[in-house]
Amino acid sequence: MGSSRISYSQLLETNNLIQANADETYWLCVTRTVQESKLFPVPAYMMLSYMMAYYRYPSLLRKIEQSLSAEEIGDRARNAGIKIQNPSMGWALPGFYLLGREWLISLGLIRPQDALEDLVYLMDFWKRFQLSWHRNNGHITNKEFGHRGQFLPERTVQVFHADMYDCKQGDDLHEAAQAFMAAASQYGFLISCESRISLHNSGPYKIAEDREMIVRDFMDLSESDFPWLDGVAADVPYNNITVTMAVKDCHFYLVDDWGSFESKPEFTADKLVGVGLYTSDTLSDGYVPVAMGSREELTACFKNLTEKVKDATNKLWRRLAGWSRDQMIDAGAITYFSIVKDLAHVAGVYDVDDWMMVDERAERFRPLFNDEYSRDALVGLCIGTHTSHRLSEYTMMQHSNGPQRLYSLIPYSVLQGDSYTTSCGPVYPGTSHLPAKVDRYNTTRGIIGLEEYNRLAREVRPPALDPKYRHLCETWVKYHAGEPLADELYKIEQANSRLLRGKGSGLRRADVEKLRNVR
Amino acid sequence: MAKLLVDNDKYAEPNTSVVVDAYHAAIHDLIRRKLDDVGGDWASFVFDKSYDLVTAAEFAAIEKRLLATGHRFDWSAMISVRERPEAYKPATGLGEDIKTFSFEHPDAVVAPADENGREQRGIGDNVVKLSTNLVGIARYIRSSDRVLDLLTSGVPADTVAVIDDSGGTLTAPILEQFKGVICAGGTVRSHLGILTREYGIPCLMNAKISGIREGDRVEIESTAAAKTAEAYQTGVEMTARIWRLAK
Repeated sequence: MGSSRISYSQLLETNNLIQANADETYWLCVTRTVQESKLFPVPAYMMLSYMMAYYRYPSLLRKIEQSLSAEEIGDRARNAGIKIQNPSMGWALPGFYLLGREWLISLGLIRPQDALEDLVYLMDFWKRFQLSWHRNNGHITNKEFGHRGQFLPERTVQVFHADMYDCKQGDDLHEAAQAFMAAASQYGFLISCESRISLHNSGPYKIAEDREMIVRDFMDLSESDFPWLDGVAADVPYNNITVTMAVKDCHFYLVDDWGSFESKPEFTADKLVGVGLYTSDTLSDGYVPVAMGSREELTACFKNLTEKVKDATNKLWRRLAGWSRDQMIDAGAITYFSIVKDLAHVAGVYDVDDWMMVDERAERFRPLFNDEYSRDALVGLCIGTHTSHRLSEYTMMQHSNGPQRLYSLIPYSVLQGDSYTTSCGPVYPGTSHLPAKVDRYNTTRGIIGLEEYNRLAREVRPPALDPKYRHLCETWVKYHAGEPLADELYKIEQANSRLLRGKGSGLRRADVEKLRNVR
Repeated sequence: MAKLLVDNDKYAEPNTSVVVDAYHAAIHDLIRRKLDDVGGDWASFVFDKSYDLVTAAEFAAIEKRLLATGHRFDWSAMISVRERPEAYKPATGLGEDIKTFSFEHPDAVVAPADENGREQRGIGDNVVKLSTNLVGIARYIRSSDRVLDLLTSGVPADTVAVIDDSGGTLTAPILEQFKGVICAGGTVRSHLGILTREYGIPCLMNAKISGIREGDRVEIESTAAAKTAEAYQTGVEMTARIWRLAK
């Protein structure tokens, strides 16, 4: 049993974070989509993944923080389109852990006060990461921001805005970009075993009175962490691809913590009026332009990427169609559980055994995960129908008005002697029905082995995050634009820009637009 | 016998799922017994001894007892019923019986043939409003075997895929070749809805249809308004029609 090392204020804050996640989880689950698949046993692998998250996340996060703090990784999250954004960090990190915890509570296997230090630590890690990642907007989540996902600094947005190529429905670039985004979305669902985990949208950023920009990230596309992409994805040249997308006469009124968007009027292809293309990863210095030298080069690149992605889709689909149910469950559960694995890549402490294996404590539950129980248990977790969710009849939950709470709060009675336990323990050995991962990782530094990947990651410090610049935030820029230090900061971001290279910190949005029109 | 915290739950109510209730009651019983075995000491049980005492074999035994009552599970993924047909309800409309198979939704809105010979056989949620309706040939796509066949032989022209999988993976290698899609599940924001919108393929989701068989000529009302998020949230009906056409 634990001694009273947790303070009242820690419990108050942790319970607040738990409740905020509970409210948003219900809303996301009810309003966003109905997840199902005839190919993958989705609810079964989701249930397994929550167990994996519950038993391993606290230990793995502590391991990561021995190398790099949550706040420092949060700063990096503004600098690359990788899986330390949404839905990974905004929702899944606390969500998967808390869903696993709630299911175990409903089974009677744990109590709300068990693994208390794990829980307090995990929610604190999440809070520090989120506040750091979102520091330019001052919110903890997109939800708190009214479902808006603006976190990039002006200097990054200006480069995206300036270098984007105009397009309109029917022209070559428009068709090529649209075809790529369709093929990459489909490939993303397949890579991720029917989940949207490979896709992330952020923004919108207002680039003109009648135009907004959405930043779309397609992640983990090539040979990298997932064993099932070994071989079949060898020809996909970039592991992470970011498409900047300008849209006219269409307002993105909702960008949620799952990384999906909604707009008014509805976004359709004819509203797409500008695109850009980038790649990035843990080892890159921010977003690296891809084929952005000319409109023709970009068009050809989109077409080439589409073919590569379609080829990989066909090869991967044939591979998956021959899998056993256990292999499908492993791949799906690993995809879900490892949604925050890039935290370990950034910290340079990634280990295949940590992230690509099913912890033996979670593995115990596999016999329970037939399709029917998994479906009903999962729905119950998402809408609050398990016994642990029930509250006094006087209570009205946010959104549903029912007497429920999606995630159990920690009882304050632990502060006056009620028993609790501190941790579920370290990482236990794992198993997998999938082939072993080949030691080949496609990065912006070339195809390398994991040892080198980790070594390089530990050495990397993006220039804009050098201590000299790290805390030169948007508020500072507001009052120091045009000064040498501000220009230095902006020029780092502009180094690879076609139109803004060397322009410095003084440009306003209209100035960028003028530069675009000079071409 | 040992008492669990959940045994004192003031607000406990039965789960809406009978299967969940059956499983959870059995698991609670299992944990009480195992806790008894270690003398009721929760601190040493919860994250230590329980790892060895609450095992996969115990969970498998719970499932075995449920199946012994005659219960057979609903299936959602084909692989589940394919690997363990004895544990799941039988799957229909996946093989040779496709010729006589049809989705039969109890809430399908049907109407006699109109002056143009169009017989309404259902409704669905339109993903994107287009300028014209879509006409094509209905073909059920419900299994990876069927997808593999079509991947090998090519998707016939004018195929309107009739699917009950709102996901984006089953039909991944051939989706782009469909002329239209009628999906008996999901919402316009399901993965299949997202992908058909990206590809510009007319699609109705959450379709409630009856009497549409393999090879029927069908028309879908792609000119209907696209169903909005607000409509889903407020429960407002915004549907497009599906007709079977004279052959």
